[in-house]
Amino acid sequence: MSLPDRRDPPPAAVGVRQPLVDGVDKVTGAARYTADLAPRDALVGAILRSPVAHATIRGIDTSRARAMPGVRAVVTGEDCAVAYGVIPIAQNEFPLARGRVRYRGEPVAAVAADDPATARAALEAIELDLEPLPAVFDAAAARAEGSVLLHDDKPGNVERAVEQTFGDVDGGFASADLVREQSFHYAEVHQAMMEPNAALAAWDAERGRLTLHSVTQVPYYVHLALARCLRLDESAIRVIKPFVGGGFGHRTETLNFEIVAALLARAAGGTVRLELTREETFLTHRGRPETDVRLKIGLAKSGAITAVEAEVVQRGGAYAGYGLVTILYAGALIHALYRVPASRYKGFRVYANTPPNGAMRGHGSVDVRHAFESLLDAMAAELGLDPFAVRRANLIEAPHRTINDLQVNSCGLAQCLDIVERRSRWRERRGRLPRGHGLGMACSHYVSGSAKPVHWTGEPHAVVNLKLDFDGGITVLTGASDIGQGSSTLLAQAAAEVLRLPMSRFTVFANDSAVTPKDNGSYSSRVSFMVGNAAIRAADELKRVLVAAAARRLEVHPDDVEWEGERCRVAGTDRELAYKEVVTEALRDTGTITAKGAWSTPPETQGGRFRGAAVGSSAGFSYAALVAEVEVDEDTGMVRVVGVWVAHDCGRAINPLSVEGQVQGSVWMGMGQALSEETQYLDGLHARANLLDYRVPTIVESPPIDTSIVEAPDPNGPFGAKEAGEGSLSAFLPALTNAIADAIGLRLDALPASPDRVLEAIVARRRAERLRRAAKPVPQGAD
Amino acid sequence: MERLPAFELRRASSLAEAIGWLAGTPGARAIAGGTDLVPNLRDGLGSPPVLVDLSGIAGLDALVAGDDGVRIGANVTLARLASDAALAQALPAVVQAAASIAAPGHRSVATVGGNLCVDTRCVYYNQSEWWRRSNDYCLKHGGDTCHVAPHGERCHAAYAGDLAPALIVCGARVEIAGPDGTRGIAIEDLYRDDGRAHLALGPGELVAGVVVPVQPPRARSAYRKARARGAIDFPLAGVAVRLSADAGRVASLAVGLTGTNSRPLRLAGTDAWSGRAIDEALLADLGKAVQKQVSPMRTTLTQANWRRQVAAVAAQRLVRELAEAIA
Repeated sequence: MSLPDRRDPPPAAVGVRQPLVDGVDKVTGAARYTADLAPRDALVGAILRSPVAHATIRGIDTSRARAMPGVRAVVTGEDCAVAYGVIPIAQNEFPLARGRVRYRGEPVAAVAADDPATARAALEAIELDLEPLPAVFDAAAARAEGSVLLHDDKPGNVERAVEQTFGDVDGGFASADLVREQSFHYAEVHQAMMEPNAALAAWDAERGRLTLHSVTQVPYYVHLALARCLRLDESAIRVIKPFVGGGFGHRTETLNFEIVAALLARAAGGTVRLELTREETFLTHRGRPETDVRLKIGLAKSGAITAVEAEVVQRGGAYAGYGLVTILYAGALIHALYRVPASRYKGFRVYANTPPNGAMRGHGSVDVRHAFESLLDAMAAELGLDPFAVRRANLIEAPHRTINDLQVNSCGLAQCLDIVERRSRWRERRGRLPRGHGLGMACSHYVSGSAKPVHWTGEPHAVVNLKLDFDGGITVLTGASDIGQGSSTLLAQAAAEVLRLPMSRFTVFANDSAVTPKDNGSYSSRVSFMVGNAAIRAADELKRVLVAAAARRLEVHPDDVEWEGERCRVAGTDRELAYKEVVTEALRDTGTITAKGAWSTPPETQGGRFRGAAVGSSAGFSYAALVAEVEVDEDTGMVRVVGVWVAHDCGRAINPLSVEGQVQGSVWMGMGQALSEETQYLDGLHARANLLDYRVPTIVESPPIDTSIVEAPDPNGPFGAKEAGEGSLSAFLPALTNAIADAIGLRLDALPASPDRVLEAIVARRRAERLRRAAKPVPQGAD
Repeated sequence: MERLPAFELRRASSLAEAIGWLAGTPGARAIAGGTDLVPNLRDGLGSPPVLVDLSGIAGLDALVAGDDGVRIGANVTLARLASDAALAQALPAVVQAAASIAAPGHRSVATVGGNLCVDTRCVYYNQSEWWRRSNDYCLKHGGDTCHVAPHGERCHAAYAGDLAPALIVCGARVEIAGPDGTRGIAIEDLYRDDGRAHLALGPGELVAGVVVPVQPPRARSAYRKARARGAIDFPLAGVAVRLSADAGRVASLAVGLTGTNSRPLRLAGTDAWSGRAIDEALLADLGKAVQKQVSPMRTTLTQANWRRQVAAVAAQRLVRELAEAIA
């Protein structure tokens, strides 16, 4: 370890383009992911999945499989009678189906065997006796009168209906100069993270203890679900998250294979490695639901929004998962981007015989944001307003409390708009590009963590421990899950900044429930904000202890100690102590020091008092503005993204390198949904459960992304920081379709803008134009 | 994808040895780069007891230009084909087609013989064993119904090789080695319009190489591939054109098509256009002919009608661009 000369000024850690602390391990291949952890004695797990979309399970005969040599365990729904689910009031999923199967690919049985071939043969030997039921594959069919019910307690297959009205909606529309209404349709999308699902479960039969390694973003929730489903005391379980290759919300809840691995390990009395194929990973789903949006906006001539009305229907798949949160987010986040004086929202989360959806990046906000920014754009054109002008007419000035009780304490959207307008040369180029080329823009925002966690315990939102020992090294102990987003690096930076020590003094140790503090996990962009604040507080506490020790050695009052990290000094004198001398003094008599920091969201940010008010509430909102330039081939429907300019207000860029990566990743993921990604089911069979047919963009489609960071510091944020990993995603989709509209005058109301859809829309428009022309006599000389 | 099924790998040191093993072992399959075969085997599409590895056969990777044309050995990799500067001059359509296939990693091992013999593809076929079984299998593999056209008698899986149409327009012949010796056929004759058995190869027969004659002076060729993404994907439609023109008029025009039928096609009727001006009327006729002769079915999740339309557009654009380049 190289340490700076002790006379160097203390290094800044925050605001520095800091390569990720685990980056070298990843690029050299030293990093070990769950599937890499293969103990010599591990059994091979495998899951049998339902071939049908909806059926009553009359019986599962496992006797032949159990009798096979080399088969160590067979489990079915009989082995776990406890339903689980991430939302405590909506738990209706079993790790292995009980009584009924509700989608093609739902796990019904699992085996653990000595080798893969035996495991495969054992699955073949299990006989399913299924009595088919009618199945529904879209929300309209599911809600239709007399439709088969997936869950007997949910009439009309509606998991959750939301109806919320704020302000005088009818009055708002009545006073508007322009009111427009439009419907939109969005295909379901999936995260397609690089690492497929895997879990490694070890059962200690002597002591009745379970250790699980998994690909999760939320080890704590997995821990709770394992205790619940295996009826174990929580202290008998240890959950470890190794390196994880992305999540994007696929892994923000306990997934069936994690519990199945544990059930198998216990049944086999050993260690089971359960590695899912890419297809099985797709079937576990948890992506963004197929969504229909009907949106109505009222605008004054100035562009000011007078009222908004939205109806959103989401096909949520066969089980609850995060469903009620997703449908609430879709309504709540209509707010807090612009001033909205009145709104009415109706949301329907609907069950259907498809894999369950989840909390995908931009959770709940993305499709509605596309609808909103598209309709706003079209209406601005009708009013003769520039797309930037209509947004500027509706800016929030912080502090601002929305009509649905979201508290906005900082907002840098105005700066974001200025930057992308200038950098894209919007004013010079908009309207002057050749036919087929277009510029479009849109805005978006996101929460920095849900102000109320989905699982309320009364504990702080985040806790970080710092361990200081004889060597002077500081270990950051955290339960925050680094899934590639860089949270471990950020926490070390936060502690280093407070303690004014070089990054090389810090080691981050994360995600081992036996060692690290509990953390709710990496979702809803909570980690930088909440765990970052906890890290600052832990570092403040450690600094207090160190300054007190220095004061003792220097025989002065702590207030007279000037702390500069690698050295400290009695103010106004030359009397100094080196850091290691301070550490020696601090550890005298006490030994190893552990300093703790905790953080919770302020009560005023936790939302209003109406039903569902907690969803959407956040201690800090990020903002983004984005311009996309496209080229549309009107003969083929191919859309090429020529360039993207994005500005993201993250309050303070603790690690600008990471922020840029996160913003570019968000844009890119939004581009996938906008251009080419979609799931598709043929009678409920997932027809795109592979990376050829699920069309994540390739590097060929990836445009240059000009990224600017805006820093409107948030009073609650760590060093003023807010989220950076989700907020700029949803701006891309409407910016793209607005750019297509600019290029060829066609407004798409369905995504993705795949070439066949775009060409179909172009051809349909040509036909409609021909019909119009045929209906009217053509004036002389006209085309 | 699942693990590979068990098989015996035999490394052939000569064509004769490979042919002997293939002819003598029911179900044996040849393997070179494996980029098509291995994923299919991992999807449970067949479990050959023996794989005959062709990669060690001396001379099968020869790429030789002579007075009467170019001979491309079956084991020449697509990467080599795509980066050959002399070929890029002589046979641009072939080189462009090679460069458009899959991704660099695939092309570094995938071979000319493999791409010519690439299996036909269908959304009901290129799925896992669990998937196909849940769907009662299909006519191409394990079942008796074609889900694309359930009332028909045939399999509609689409041919998805990129090299074949380019080689068709360049007048290539294929050398086929088999138990009875070597025979040469026009490349079109390597294929049959049957998604289940699209290769006209007898037991033990192998594609040993391709011979492409010297191209007529003033002829130019090019390949264009329609797909949703600019890399990795198989062609949703692929078009190769070879045009020679004189003073703005067609001297000869050949159009090859892939991705739309169970076999690669040579567009019929282009001979009648010799002497015609290369103008909008010709392009309109060309577009109509393409739309009429291709028959994309619901074998992909991208709409069949789009594949038909973009095949026509690609053909028109290629002819226009080649005519401009010649002029």
